[in-house]
Amino acid sequence: MKFLVFSENAGSLSQMITYLREKGEVIGVGVEKSSSEAANFGALRMYSIKGDILSDSIAKLLEELFKKEGIDNIFLSSSILGRETAGILSVSMGAGIVPEINEISFEGSKARTKRFYLGGKTVLEEESQAKIFTVSPGISDAIKSDKNSEVISLSAPVSKIKILSRQPKKSEGSNIENAKIIVCIGRGLGKKEGIESVKPLVEAVHGEIAGSRPVCLDYQWLGEDRQIGLSGKKVRPAIYVGIGVSGQIQHIAGMRGSKIVIAINKDKTAPIFEESDYGLVGDLYQIIPKIVEKLS
Amino acid sequence: MVDVIVLIKQMPDLEQVKIDSNTREPIVKNVPKTVEILSEHAVEEAVRLKEKYKGKVTAILLGNEQSSAIMKKAFAIGADEGIIIDGYEEHNPANTARVLASKIKEIKHDLVILGNQSADSITGLIPGMLSALLNEPLLGNAGKIEVTGTNVKVTRILEEDNIEIEVPMPSIVSISQEINEPRLPPVMQIMAAGRKPIKTEKIAPVISKGVTLVSNSAPRSERKKLVFEDMDKGIPEVVKVLKEGMK
Repeated sequence: MKFLVFSENAGSLSQMITYLREKGEVIGVGVEKSSSEAANFGALRMYSIKGDILSDSIAKLLEELFKKEGIDNIFLSSSILGRETAGILSVSMGAGIVPEINEISFEGSKARTKRFYLGGKTVLEEESQAKIFTVSPGISDAIKSDKNSEVISLSAPVSKIKILSRQPKKSEGSNIENAKIIVCIGRGLGKKEGIESVKPLVEAVHGEIAGSRPVCLDYQWLGEDRQIGLSGKKVRPAIYVGIGVSGQIQHIAGMRGSKIVIAINKDKTAPIFEESDYGLVGDLYQIIPKIVEKLS
Repeated sequence: MVDVIVLIKQMPDLEQVKIDSNTREPIVKNVPKTVEILSEHAVEEAVRLKEKYKGKVTAILLGNEQSSAIMKKAFAIGADEGIIIDGYEEHNPANTARVLASKIKEIKHDLVILGNQSADSITGLIPGMLSALLNEPLLGNAGKIEVTGTNVKVTRILEEDNIEIEVPMPSIVSISQEINEPRLPPVMQIMAAGRKPIKTEKIAPVISKGVTLVSNSAPRSERKKLVFEDMDKGIPEVVKVLKEGMK
C-alpha cells in the first residue's frame, strides 16, 4: 500500500511516518520546516511546500499528489489546518474519511481504526473503506530510520484567502511533546505560587512542567502551549508525574501514551489513581520536598 | 448589513454519561441533551455581528421536538429565526455536512458561523466539508471577526501563530472558544424567546454507509495502580522509578 502523509508540524509528521512505514510505502508532505526535520524517518520521498499554506490550497495539492503518486490512503495530522484540509479533501475527492484515529490496521483495502468518542470517555472501533484519515498527535514515538527521504520542493496552488498579517505566539521555549519526563500540575496545587514548590522536582528530574486545562486556560498559571489534554497537547513521555491532577477524562486522553504514570493527590478517590502505575495519597507540599531530597 | 446563519450542535450532557461496568459501554439512553459549548459562543458571535452591522441571524439545529429549549436559548441571546431539522440522528460527519449544506443553500446569507470542533465527537471536519460543499471559502478557528464592506476579516488562531486573513463574502467562519464570553440574557428576553415560533422541518432518515461500528466502549486501564498511603513506603518506590527513568 502507498500512503500520503501530511503535517505542518515536524513532530506529528515524523510520528506518523514512523507509525506507517511498517504498513506500506510512505510519501511525506510538509512545509519547509516540517519536511526537512522529518526527512530521515523512512519516507520514500518528502514534498516540501514553499510559502504560505491554507486549507483550500493544501487540499488541492494533496489531491494532485494522490493522483500523481498512485496513493491508496491520505493521512493528515489532526491540527486546525489538518482537520479543515481533510474535510475539504473528502468532499472534493468524494472519499470516505475517519477522523482522529490513534490506531489503524489494514485487511486488504479495509481499514480498522480506533478513535476517542464522547469527549474521550469511550473508544470507537470502526471498519471502513475510508481513503482519508486525520491522525491524533502521539500515535507513535518518532524513531529515525537509516533511509533518508528524497526532498522535492514545490509551491502550493493559490488560495482564495488573502493573508494580511502574521503574529507569532509567545511560547515559553521548550516543547513538552519532546520531554522525557513531564511534571504536570493540576487544580489541586491550590495557588499559582505553588509552582515554586514544584519547580525543584522538575529540575531534579530534568523534566518539563505542564498543566491541566484549568491550570493553563482558566487560571493561566502556565502558558497554553503547556496544556495536556484532548484540547491541548497529547504527550507520551517515559514518565508522567501528575501533581494535584484529578484525572478528568479529557486530561487522560492527552497523557494515555505515557510509559509510566505517577500521581500525587490528597484525594484517594481521585480518578487519576485508576490511570496510574504509582500513586501517593497525601499533601503534595510535604511529599515533593522529600522526593527532591532523595533524588539529590 | 450582514446576514448570518449560525449552526448549533446539541450533544449528550457528557457529565451525565456513565459507563456500564460490565460491558464498558456508555449509557447514553435518557441522558439529557445540552448545547455544545462552542455553539453557544457561535450564537453569541452571530448576534454581536448583527448588533454591529445590522442584518438577520438564522439558527439551524439538528434535533427533534425535545431540542426547543436549546433553540429558545439562542432566541434569548438574539437569534431572529430558528430551524430545527428533525429526523437526522446519524453521527457521520459526511452526512451531517450534507444535511446542513442542503438547508444552508436555501437561505440567503453572507456568513455561516459554527464551532471549530465539538466537545463530544471531536472530529473538526464539518467546517471544511461545508466549505467544499457550498463552494464558499473557510476562515477557520476565528478569535475575531470583522466585516469591511463586502469582505470578512478574521484573526485565525493557530498552534504556532495567529494570522489575519480576508475573503469576499459569502464565507464559512469557524470559531474558537476565546472569541467571546456568551452573555446571560435578561429575563424579559428569555420570556420573549419562549413565545417565539420555531420552524421544525422533518427530513427522511439518512443512512450512513462506508463506516461500520465495531465497538464503542470505555478503555480499560492497564496501569499497575500501586497506590501508597504510607509515604515511608511510597516515596522510596517513586524515587526509584524516577531515577530509573532519568538514565
